[in-house]
Amino acid sequence: MNGSRHHRQQILAQVGERGQSRLRRSSALVVGLGGLGSPAALYLAAAGVGRLGLIDDQAVELSNLQRQVLYTEADLGRPKVEAARARLRAIDSELRVEAIAGTLRPDNAAVLAAAYDVLIDGTDAFETKFLLNDVAVLLKRPLVHGAVLQWHGQVLTVRPGDPCLRCLFREPPDPGDVQSCEEAGILGATTGVVGSVQAEEALKLMLGLPGVLAGRLFQHDGLSGETRVIPFPRDEACPVCSARPLIADLGRYTEQVSPRGHLVKPRG
Amino acid sequence: MTASLTGRQAERYARHLSLQELGPRGQQKLLQSRVLIVGVGALGSPASLYLAAAGVGTLGLCDHDAVRLSNLQRQVLHQTASIGQSKVEAGARALHALNPEVRIETHPYAVTAANALTLLAGYDAIVDGTDTFAARYLLSDAAYLAGKPLVHGSIFRIEGQVTDFVPGQGCYRCLYPEPPPPGLVSDSPAVGVFAPLPGIIGCIQAAETIKLLTGRGDPLIGRVLLHDSLAMTFREVRYRRDPACPLCGDRPAIRGLVDYEAFVQAAGSR
Repeated sequence: MNGSRHHRQQILAQVGERGQSRLRRSSALVVGLGGLGSPAALYLAAAGVGRLGLIDDQAVELSNLQRQVLYTEADLGRPKVEAARARLRAIDSELRVEAIAGTLRPDNAAVLAAAYDVLIDGTDAFETKFLLNDVAVLLKRPLVHGAVLQWHGQVLTVRPGDPCLRCLFREPPDPGDVQSCEEAGILGATTGVVGSVQAEEALKLMLGLPGVLAGRLFQHDGLSGETRVIPFPRDEACPVCSARPLIADLGRYTEQVSPRGHLVKPRG
Repeated sequence: MTASLTGRQAERYARHLSLQELGPRGQQKLLQSRVLIVGVGALGSPASLYLAAAGVGTLGLCDHDAVRLSNLQRQVLHQTASIGQSKVEAGARALHALNPEVRIETHPYAVTAANALTLLAGYDAIVDGTDTFAARYLLSDAAYLAGKPLVHGSIFRIEGQVTDFVPGQGCYRCLYPEPPPPGLVSDSPAVGVFAPLPGIIGCIQAAETIKLLTGRGDPLIGRVLLHDSLAMTFREVRYRRDPACPLCGDRPAIRGLVDYEAFVQAAGSR
């Protein structure tokens, strides 16, 4: 058995043969196949997750290769989801990959999210991050949120009933208040740290293990070398996960949330 | 300064050029740097991928092993088609495909007391991706004697750690004066590894290497970062150069490389 593909993981007391076959029956939707999606998808494929949905509408560009280690120069110009599928299946040909060349939107999010056990946020668009959070809460699908900028990164996990992204940050920052990755820059290795933490969280969710970042925020600063996990409470007035949510119906999402992820203020 | 980067480099490294702490000067520094990665497995995979992507000019890969099926659960540099091939050759091909600008030097052998000083002499910084205590003590001693910074990383089951050993500011012996009793060595196929754990540790090693090469940020010198992947906790423990350290202390007893297998084996009987 020493020669088997997942032997070294299977002998972990927390995984075992049952856990390994549980991973094989599990699925994750990786939304965004860039800096975070690259390591997250690589480690989920390597770990033996059975099915991965990959969603991204972009093609591989030269400036991606500074951090998006899922791709090579030969992939330049190719849709990311296709290049990613080939790379992941080269690691494990038994992996099922559903490549979706598109974006996650309010009108397709529910159907897509319902088809997977765990949602992984690998996007760099605030509106998609908040949409994913809202979908996760309303559809009761576990979400592993991740975000990076410059040398900083963060991760949190939202299972049904856990405090959510909007408990911590009610709305996305206003455009102009934050710099984009293009403007501010990003260290590749930071995306690697954050995406790998997201993969750890996703595997623990699939295995039903405790110790996930529920109500806890992982914060990493590569420049100072400081990494910490800080608890955060539920916001009793959270617009999506509180007892009286403003956002309660995905079918009417665009009436409640602006295209940029902000809350549409009630009229009158 | 940007003038010295080609147009293609400016495009490839655009996200570094906008980083205040790197910018064109930092990128030039990376392009001129030489880094040796010892062990092209669980830790060496992410470390080498991110250092190659970042544009470190020359990467040395040192490993005596071939790719095995059971490696693929965590060693994301390798793929099924590489099974049976030398890890340094398979790794060199994968890194070249990612960034053909990076010069890859392959060292398809194990690092030993006989070759370590010569091997390390050719590089600016060393990344420890090995998985035995003997190799860790050997690399730490060799890096100190060769005057090179060493970015240490190790994983054991669900836990991992990272720290930087800069000559004169603490070494592996200051942190762990004695190896653990034989039998706890983590290269044993009887010890499990959670797949993404080496990704976290190896990527932090890559970031630390970039900081040491460019002189930016606060490297993990005299601080060891400890991670428990199942509890998802991180904690930092401070340590200092031990004045009584036999290697880097005030009265060093070790002035050359020793027999590390014997040192580790003897740990149980001391």
